[in-house]
Amino acid sequence: MPARPASFPAACGLRRLAGSFLLVWLVCVARVSGQEWTPQPITGLDGRFTLRGDATATIGTDDTGYFNYTDYDHTTLHLVRFDATAALRAGDHVTFLTELRAEGDSLHGEWLGAVYAAFVRYRPWTARPIDLSAGLVPTAFGAYTARSYATDNLLIGTPLAYQYLTAIRSDAIPANADQLAAMRGRGWLVEYPIGSHTLATGLPLVSLSGYDTGLLVQAGGVRGRVQGLASVTAGTLGSPGIDHNGSPQVAGRLVVRPAIGLVLGASAASGHFLEQSVADLLPPAQQHRRYPQRAWGADAEYSREYWLVRAEVVASDWRLPVIDQPAIDRPLGSIAWYAEGRYKIVPGLYAAARYDHMTFSDIQTSLGKTTWDAPVSRVEAGVGYSLTRWLLIKATIQHNTRDTARVPALTLPSLQAVLWF
Amino acid sequence: MVLKHSIAGLSLLALALAAIGGPAGRVLAQSGPGSIRGHVDIQRPASPIERRVTASEPGETMAHESPRDRRAVVYFETAPRGAFEDRESPHATLDQRNEAFVPHLLAITVGTVVDFPNSDRTYHNVFSLSKTKRFDLGRYGTGRSKSILFDRPGIVRVFCDIHSHMNAFILVFNHRFFAVTDADGHYEIDGVPTGTYTLSAWYEGAVRDQGSVTIGPEQRAPELNFTVR
Repeated sequence: MPARPASFPAACGLRRLAGSFLLVWLVCVARVSGQEWTPQPITGLDGRFTLRGDATATIGTDDTGYFNYTDYDHTTLHLVRFDATAALRAGDHVTFLTELRAEGDSLHGEWLGAVYAAFVRYRPWTARPIDLSAGLVPTAFGAYTARSYATDNLLIGTPLAYQYLTAIRSDAIPANADQLAAMRGRGWLVEYPIGSHTLATGLPLVSLSGYDTGLLVQAGGVRGRVQGLASVTAGTLGSPGIDHNGSPQVAGRLVVRPAIGLVLGASAASGHFLEQSVADLLPPAQQHRRYPQRAWGADAEYSREYWLVRAEVVASDWRLPVIDQPAIDRPLGSIAWYAEGRYKIVPGLYAAARYDHMTFSDIQTSLGKTTWDAPVSRVEAGVGYSLTRWLLIKATIQHNTRDTARVPALTLPSLQAVLWF
Repeated sequence: MVLKHSIAGLSLLALALAAIGGPAGRVLAQSGPGSIRGHVDIQRPASPIERRVTASEPGETMAHESPRDRRAVVYFETAPRGAFEDRESPHATLDQRNEAFVPHLLAITVGTVVDFPNSDRTYHNVFSLSKTKRFDLGRYGTGRSKSILFDRPGIVRVFCDIHSHMNAFILVFNHRFFAVTDADGHYEIDGVPTGTYTLSAWYEGAVRDQGSVTIGPEQRAPELNFTVR
């Protein structure tokens, strides 16, 4: 399971009230000051300290199918989030960077507070774009990981590859294919007999719940047209955070900009995802085998004039121990892809849409062949309107379909306000 | 407090800019023109807007805009009679260079067409949501330029939709009695008819100081200095 932040449910009502008041106040200020007040990061210490912030409030109808549920126990369509990122430059070569988040559900649930990122970045040569980072660092994988702030997301929902919860857990496993198939389409609440007996969420292909502990190297070249990233971290893409098994994940990403407006990316990652507490329960011969999550990704973006189009595919597989019949003897594969676009209609107003699909490989159960989790699709469309430079309002409608008997389809309208500086 | 000051300053400027064709100023005589010169002392230069730090992106490599580049505008609160009779359609340029708008402050008259060339190797997307002029030029690359006609007086905040630290001011006047200070803070407004005038010093979103000056037969080139605290 991903490392969870500290929760503070006792003050939930008060904090929600305070958050709502803050948002209303900011909206009022925005209306009064209009465009003329410039949103800007707070700086100090002769420009060596910089603080930026985002506040996001989302309201929507109840997601009874848990299509938008995250491994943070929140749904993205009810999310209220406050985010602050601070950077402190200590000389020309060293920067300390941290990101703090507090988030809650606008309808129900706990509020959470977390140190999302905390690392030191070292630049050996000031004139060369090469950075070494150590601490709680971003993983070198995927395009959407750098766009997870609400201001960068064209819509309100998160692409399935980065949010949708599968039936895989890192702290509990099924003994056979029948037990796995019984969890099809209920990644929001998964239970298996081996390992933790607590009901908990499954893993997404790539988690956005927090950065991972480790090292990151970033390097650019060819006049900014090529960028390479490599990371070694304790967790895995679906379960970042802390080390549960003593085996690191290795990830890499290459970004190429062959022409202005065109960005192409490719990513790969591999890491041992099964927690040691589960491995210890296996027969001795299986305890020391590797049970990795391996993933590949490709992405493209093209923009011109008032158009922006993007597409990304993430393929991932997990290998589970073979314990009982019918056996899970092949890696459990999943492919998620999306394509999205935006068109600016008039200054301040844009329309956007995304198609998202996620499929799973087959397993052989006692009842026959089936996918190990339920394929899911999502179409989301909406508009965004900037009341001011620093206040964006989004309205979207999302239609989800899933190959399960329980809630096979669900349409979800939602509204989001994003304030930033 | 700063916000309040800013709004108040903007209101003053809006009033000044709206005084089209009125019998502005206390005109003593319509004899030969003089000039007003002086200095704007900016005691605490505004810091340039920093890039938004993100944990997921690499560190910056681009040089920052220097606070010394920030200039002020000195303008007549009310313009002399006949100041609005110029009917030129001049051009001005707001370049996009090294992820900054150059110049950061542009003062123009109504009817000016401003060109926005992109001199960087990356896309920019110039836009403004200001009431005076709302526009979005879309994304365009190196060597290309787009233009906008500014047909109403007022203040226009200009941003880039891709690079959040890029910003500029365009002040659109309906008379020609204004001047942008040079790098040392000096200004000069020529061709001013005799009379008594109130001038304002505007800096980074607000009127920071005001003063009065008289041009008469004995004083053709008075000096008026301002302080921005």
